[in-house]
Amino acid sequence: MLTYADRLAEMRRTKIRHTLEKKKQNGYTDLDDFGTVPISEGYCVEPWYNSENGSFYGYEGMCENFCRVISAHEPYIDPMEMLCGRWRDMLVNYRGDLHYMPDWLKENAKKWDFLGKGATNLWSKRWDESRFPYDDLKPWQEKYNITTGIDGDAHFACDYRIGFELGFGGLLKKIRHYRTVNPDKTDFYDAEERVVLAIQDFIQRHIDRISEMIPAETRPEIKENLETMMETCRAVKNDPPATFRQVCQWTAFFNCASRIYTRDGAGFQMDELLWPYYRKDVEDGVLDDETAKFLIADLLLIDPHYYQVSGVDENDRDRTNHLSYLILEAADSINIACNLTVRVHENCDKEFLKKAVYYLFKNKNAWPRFCNDKALCEGYMRNGADKKTARERIALGCNWMCVPGKEFPMNDLVKINIAKVMEQALLDMKQEKKRSTARLFQLYNQHLKKAVEVTAAGINLHLDHAWEVTPELVMNLMMHNTIERGEDISQCAELFTVGVDGAGLAVVADSFGALETRIEREKLLSWDKMYEQLEEDFSDKRIRAMMQSAPRYCQGGTVSDEWAKRLTESFVSAIRGQEMPNGRKLLPGWFSWSRTIEYGSVVGATPNGRKAGTPISHGANPNPGFRRDGAVTAQSNGIASVQCGFGNTAPLQLEFDPKITMEEGGVDLVVNLIKTHFKQGGTLININILDGEKLMEAHKDPELYPDLVVRVTGFTAYFASLSPEFRQLVVDRFLSGM
Amino acid sequence: MVKGMVADIQRASIHDGPGLRTTVFLKGCPLRCLWCHNPECISFNRETLYYPDKCIHCGRCEEGCFAGARVVCGAEMTPEEVMQQLLLDRDYYQNGGGVTLSGGEPMAQPEFAFALLDLLKNENIHTAAETSLYLYSDEVMKKLDLLMADLKIWDDETHKAYTGVSNKTIKENFIRADELGVPIIVRTPVVPGIEQGIPDISEFAKGLKHSVKYELLPYHPLGVTKQIALGEKPMRFDIPSREKMKELSKYAYIR
Repeated sequence: MLTYADRLAEMRRTKIRHTLEKKKQNGYTDLDDFGTVPISEGYCVEPWYNSENGSFYGYEGMCENFCRVISAHEPYIDPMEMLCGRWRDMLVNYRGDLHYMPDWLKENAKKWDFLGKGATNLWSKRWDESRFPYDDLKPWQEKYNITTGIDGDAHFACDYRIGFELGFGGLLKKIRHYRTVNPDKTDFYDAEERVVLAIQDFIQRHIDRISEMIPAETRPEIKENLETMMETCRAVKNDPPATFRQVCQWTAFFNCASRIYTRDGAGFQMDELLWPYYRKDVEDGVLDDETAKFLIADLLLIDPHYYQVSGVDENDRDRTNHLSYLILEAADSINIACNLTVRVHENCDKEFLKKAVYYLFKNKNAWPRFCNDKALCEGYMRNGADKKTARERIALGCNWMCVPGKEFPMNDLVKINIAKVMEQALLDMKQEKKRSTARLFQLYNQHLKKAVEVTAAGINLHLDHAWEVTPELVMNLMMHNTIERGEDISQCAELFTVGVDGAGLAVVADSFGALETRIEREKLLSWDKMYEQLEEDFSDKRIRAMMQSAPRYCQGGTVSDEWAKRLTESFVSAIRGQEMPNGRKLLPGWFSWSRTIEYGSVVGATPNGRKAGTPISHGANPNPGFRRDGAVTAQSNGIASVQCGFGNTAPLQLEFDPKITMEEGGVDLVVNLIKTHFKQGGTLININILDGEKLMEAHKDPELYPDLVVRVTGFTAYFASLSPEFRQLVVDRFLSGM
Repeated sequence: MVKGMVADIQRASIHDGPGLRTTVFLKGCPLRCLWCHNPECISFNRETLYYPDKCIHCGRCEEGCFAGARVVCGAEMTPEEVMQQLLLDRDYYQNGGGVTLSGGEPMAQPEFAFALLDLLKNENIHTAAETSLYLYSDEVMKKLDLLMADLKIWDDETHKAYTGVSNKTIKENFIRADELGVPIIVRTPVVPGIEQGIPDISEFAKGLKHSVKYELLPYHPLGVTKQIALGEKPMRFDIPSREKMKELSKYAYIR
């Protein structure tokens, strides 16, 4: 008889096999694993285009194509699992976005020769430019290398309680009810209704497939599992989930649908929302902890959604419960790419925090990560939110927080490459006679102001028209106000606190620091010579070494540390100073996501000795090699000093081999590090505790370790799936932390 | 004003005492251990280490090297200057962490060590020192929360042969430190091929009232690159096998 442990081991093996197959089908992907499974043989979707530019938009376009893609999905049932359902393909693949398109589709897409034509890394066809052009903004966006957020999708969070309470049948009823209340919103309700029906059909196809599988199954325990799986699917197709297994299965189906639609990966406060189901089932005597853990592990395997655990409620009471522990144990039992975030607070369960760190050491698979309640909550309250709302704003994305159901933050979608902004300032100053870092900073601020204006104009364009381009038909189901008013969430969210991140902090801080040190203080170099060397991409190795070896950001108390703080103040003030209409607010943060290679490719040589076209620094992190000892404390201090303070993050991204075991006190050391960084005001910590030897071997031959997971930025990915350039970046960061 | 000759200040150090620590490496040592892993800390004077693979051949060495090929080791610093660096990580010293004086031989710069430890104690920071105990200062010892001291070889003649000095004074200084009541971690670097007398050292350590631990540290060849960079003839020893370390572990203890 197969035990849970046998089945989990088998599920893990399947996952590894899928990772390798996906790499063959998709090519390298510097993206989240997303939990997809390989596409099945013969999989094909004929998209329906309702725009002349070769894309589809609006309620009808998005709805029709969602229905086509989800109905093309074969049911996915693994008899080892208790839950079923997986996703493989997403709408964005058919909208000319080069960033996402997998290799297998490129072949298919040849017949739609317009697909991708005219699309670039900056502008895809996800936005309907024929109706909502922004040609006036484009030169500026290019000038400052702005990731505009125009055409962005998802990156907010559903309130799962709405779905758990209503079930798909209840959601349908709600849609049908409000259709009569808002008779002028027929298009909206038609689309929402079809979406729910398509999800129900997806579930029905699973039910049918399971019923075909049952007669052939010979192992009694697996047969019983399939029978329960089928009953569970039948129950959740229409009714609200009533048991722990049902609520996990319901979530799995919803997540598949929302991933197919817009790759939405925001989960929920897992220990809190699943708690009533767990408690009831345990009290009813139908659930034990081993089964609960298996179900959670299965849910985490189905999709690496972002879930938060632990933390405190609005009255500062610890909300760690027995389920919080089970969630960690479940994640350990399956031990795959996993995006659990532990919310840390001074009143939190200390044993729980220790246990969370223990798993970082034990598995070295980059989970969980940690966010700081105090800094995030107090920061968000500075936007005028009350404490309750600020506490509800939880870690549900790569680098970001969101109030589930209520906020439309466009988090992680909008970025300004400040290395590019500095480049413009340098170009301006070149024409001037009196040059200084003070003057350069003045020019930088002028350009930054313009960059923020352009960014804000893009955000406003997106917010004004997103409902006509990419309405969030799936996520709308579990948002407040949407169904009630017949409006897309981009129109009716309670909170429009929109995140704008700066990228390239360390490059710019180190550049200002190097200029001040070598030109102004030590007079080792003239401005003319420096300009000549930037143009020649540092033909003089000595000058390059001179600039590289100048004091750097995160060394501690250096001129570049001071510049990093000054740059943060200036960024915050530019973002906060930008006026926005309709109650919208902009929130500053430092985060580059995984675009460091792409951003670097458009920036020429920089005064910190960085060669033209090479990657910029990652998030709020220092440049690799910032200290000879790579002191994590120094990095932690530096990053704590550049927090933007309005509830968004400047994450501390750590890659290191602590060269110390758990038994030698490694766990306490990391707990201490986390607590101290948070005491200093840090917001989010992504830690890769790595086995150095294994990483270096995997770098040589990634397929040796298809199960090696690294946290690339906020998200985790299988090392083997990353492109060689990206693997090199992870290795460089790791070497710098040794 | 007293100044110290500082070789390096390493932050976030985890192998130089409990918790997260900053380690101050002082230059100058009276011993000449053949396996020394910090050979740049032997001389009391400023030295230049040369790493030819980093040289960019600009031919302007005298104007200063920025490429990391010529690395100057040794800076005269006041205790206050060092303190500035040490306070950067103050928040991390909780849970037993703190500052460790190492080297070289910290006891070879007793006035400086005392002044620095005094500043640290005024700030309530945990203090430790790594020493050969060939030199001794009551004043310095009294400022320490933890003493990590080596007894490398039991037999005096062998000790002289491999370290250049007699271990008689070292053993006496262990007794003196023990009488002061400082918690002591006794350590022996395990170097294959040398009759170190580890069982005897272990017994000796047990006899100390305040020894909290006897640690065996496997020899590592990190000093070899630095010896080459200093223009010295490198001394190579074998790295002790895991089996050897496991076999010897019966002599190690924690109280």
